[in-house]
Amino acid sequence: MRRRLFVLGLLGFVVLATASVAAAANGGFTPQHAHSPNAQRINQAYYVVLAFTAAIFLIVETLLVMFIWRYRSRGRPRTVDGGQVHGNNRLEIIWTLIPVGIISVIFGFVFYKLPGISGPPTAHAANPLEVKLDAHQFYWQFTYPNGAVSIDELHLPVGRVVKIDINSEDVNHSWWIPQLGGKTDAIPGRTNHIWYQPDKIGTYYGQCAEFCGLFHERMLARAIVTSEADYESFVRTRAAKELGKAEWEGVCAKCHGPQGEGDYGPAIAANPTLVQPSGLENIVRNGRGLMPAVGNNWTQAQFRALETYIKASVYKGASTSGG
Amino acid sequence: MAARSEAAYPVTWKSGRVARWLVTVDHKRIGILYIATALVFFFAGGILALLMRAQLATPNESVITKNRYDEVMTMHGTTMVFLVVVPILAGFGNYLVPLMIGARDMAFPRLNALSYWLFLLGGIVLYLSWFSASGPARAGWTSYPTLSELQFSPGHGQDYWILSLHILTLSSLASAINFLVTIHNMRTRGMTWMRMPLFVWAIEVYSVLLLAALPALSAGLTMLLLDRRGYTHFFIPSEGGNAVLYQHVFWFFGHPEVYIMVLPAMGMVSEILPVFARKPIFGYTAIVLSTIFIGFYSMLVWAHHMFTVGLPTGLDGFFMISSMIIAVPTGIKIFNWVATTWRGNLQFDTPMLFALGFIALFTMGGLSGIFLAAFPIDWQVHDTYYVVAHFHYVLFGGSLFAIFGGVYYWWPKIFGRLLDERLGKLHFWLTFVGFNLTFLPQHMLGLLGMPRRVWTYHHGGLWETYNLISTIGSGIMGLGMLIFLVNIWRTQIARRGIRAGNDPWLADTLEWYTTSPPPPQNFDSVPYVTSARPLRDLRRRLAEQT
Repeated sequence: MRRRLFVLGLLGFVVLATASVAAAANGGFTPQHAHSPNAQRINQAYYVVLAFTAAIFLIVETLLVMFIWRYRSRGRPRTVDGGQVHGNNRLEIIWTLIPVGIISVIFGFVFYKLPGISGPPTAHAANPLEVKLDAHQFYWQFTYPNGAVSIDELHLPVGRVVKIDINSEDVNHSWWIPQLGGKTDAIPGRTNHIWYQPDKIGTYYGQCAEFCGLFHERMLARAIVTSEADYESFVRTRAAKELGKAEWEGVCAKCHGPQGEGDYGPAIAANPTLVQPSGLENIVRNGRGLMPAVGNNWTQAQFRALETYIKASVYKGASTSGG
Repeated sequence: MAARSEAAYPVTWKSGRVARWLVTVDHKRIGILYIATALVFFFAGGILALLMRAQLATPNESVITKNRYDEVMTMHGTTMVFLVVVPILAGFGNYLVPLMIGARDMAFPRLNALSYWLFLLGGIVLYLSWFSASGPARAGWTSYPTLSELQFSPGHGQDYWILSLHILTLSSLASAINFLVTIHNMRTRGMTWMRMPLFVWAIEVYSVLLLAALPALSAGLTMLLLDRRGYTHFFIPSEGGNAVLYQHVFWFFGHPEVYIMVLPAMGMVSEILPVFARKPIFGYTAIVLSTIFIGFYSMLVWAHHMFTVGLPTGLDGFFMISSMIIAVPTGIKIFNWVATTWRGNLQFDTPMLFALGFIALFTMGGLSGIFLAAFPIDWQVHDTYYVVAHFHYVLFGGSLFAIFGGVYYWWPKIFGRLLDERLGKLHFWLTFVGFNLTFLPQHMLGLLGMPRRVWTYHHGGLWETYNLISTIGSGIMGLGMLIFLVNIWRTQIARRGIRAGNDPWLADTLEWYTTSPPPPQNFDSVPYVTSARPLRDLRRRLAEQT
């Protein structure tokens, strides 16, 4: 008895401690607050399913605990029979039909909401912003309509519908910003799509959701939602200025260390190949040994940006002639 | 009787203490070998799980390296699915099916032995791959291409993984055929289909599913192996292949596999509950029909694992509705089990605790499955810790709780001694509490955005809190499993377990009619079966005569 009390007490303590921490910040008991219509509609579907499943859960577990308490043996020996009830057809029919009804309601609700989840409302769909996303081991590369490129962070103007074409250059990845929408797999040889219409300026975080290899957990992503003007200034000028740094941090540094001092990959800070444009391009484009072909679809501008940044901020070796 | 068994089994080198296990074709010995081997792998897979939880206890932890983590994660999943749950159920099926249907042995005893030795070989191949030059497979237990292709998974670990699964597939196919032939042809007089124990019904459907699903896995693995070593491009898009094809083939096997792992466990619960409620099972026919219905529908739901790959809406809708339909027969089972406890004389021995724990936890796992079946919701929770929580509620809270119930329930039949009740109850409570501490917070982690299969995470706050609780829970479960080992040691090796008679639980089915442990020929005579509870009928007839 004392042991059971101890276990119950421990359980109660943990539940209380968890609940109090969790209640402070929506603690993952419900989906995250959504900032795009598709994510909001998914959340509505979630609450409909939650209502039914919570009710069934409570009914089943309550009955189970009640029966366990009510019909415990109370010292009756094993030889005493319980009620010899073999079943009840009416009950079987009832507890078949009610779940069928519940499933029909859930199915109906999901399909009622579906058009607003899988595609943007037509009123807003005119003139969408179209962004191309290439997933790589182990970074995200976004290409905007004017050709500007960003790495690991997606810049979006608030209130505008954005369509993203998602592709992978190597293995399966999965693009996911929970507060804006559901996951969409990035699969080589296949283009998938998702759309957002972010309703609030801010930064939304996500990460790769399909196991993609050694640095899966480092494939973090940010969606930076700004005003239309800030967005325009980013794709017109800032993107190009920041590209080299973003490439170093998003593509190279995850494996070679923030200063190229070596981590999982070898130390490269003093490697003269870094400042030989053709040598650098060859390795980044084709990979070498364990290093994947991280830059297999890069433009010349991307290589130039990386070279410039490395030469200015990373390379610690002796300067080479003509480098 | 003793004289008779000696005459049938003359003393030769085959009677040696070790040799008799190596050359055996007796379904009981093979069953014990299966269960013991699977338990060894269970502890190996459990240690891998504890390593992962230790690594994830706090953010930016480095208890093990990321390379090692991916190997551990892959081996944990592969071990628990292919080397623990499926074979331990095959072990119980081997031991129990002939006894439950009043048969002398399985239909093909030598094929049966082959099944076991192939299982052991497959396990050894998988575990020896730790020693291959580049380590074992590390592409996850699903091993999706293109990650599992040679370009991204160099070395031989992935090849050993494929080889091991090929061997295990052969083992399971042989045992499935054996079960089907045995159940169809060797039932004792009077045991009609609707008087058959529910566990045997579950093994029947389990075997049909294995036969239907395993060839798909073999085909997928063969294509993957050819891609890696035979210069083909089935799954390599840059050469004209299709990476999604593998997912279809894998899950065409993989989802029936889930029911392969859970239906016989449900069958065990259906055996244990009535015995400890001192009642017949509520709705025998409904449970049989729901088992068949689940088996059938489990073949039609595979793409609910693929809602995020960008299937056409029509397919998403079809797989959503077929997945949700499975909730209906599953619900029928749960309601019937709860109703079985109604007006019972509930005996809370350890098997009963695990069976009741199964109902409580499996309900949770089933209901979280409804969220995953609704494909837009799945777009949010897919491949997160929410899914990890869901399938552990189904496979650990479900299958393994039932299996532990089965271990405590049939141990006295198999070894002649009862496992210790106090240690058994401690084992149950530690596992139950530890299980919920480990996996309940993982639902929250998933909704907070934590993907599965990550080596570490970079958030503090709630992520850290829930992960830490989860790790503490896993430690409590680990302690529970140590208690289980102590219990086995105390009962069998220290020989302090109470000797069980033929029928310590006053049970219903034929295996309790014979001695504990049963003689090599199982039965000297088998009573004519007049209902699904032949032993209860027998007790009543005896009581009327005296």
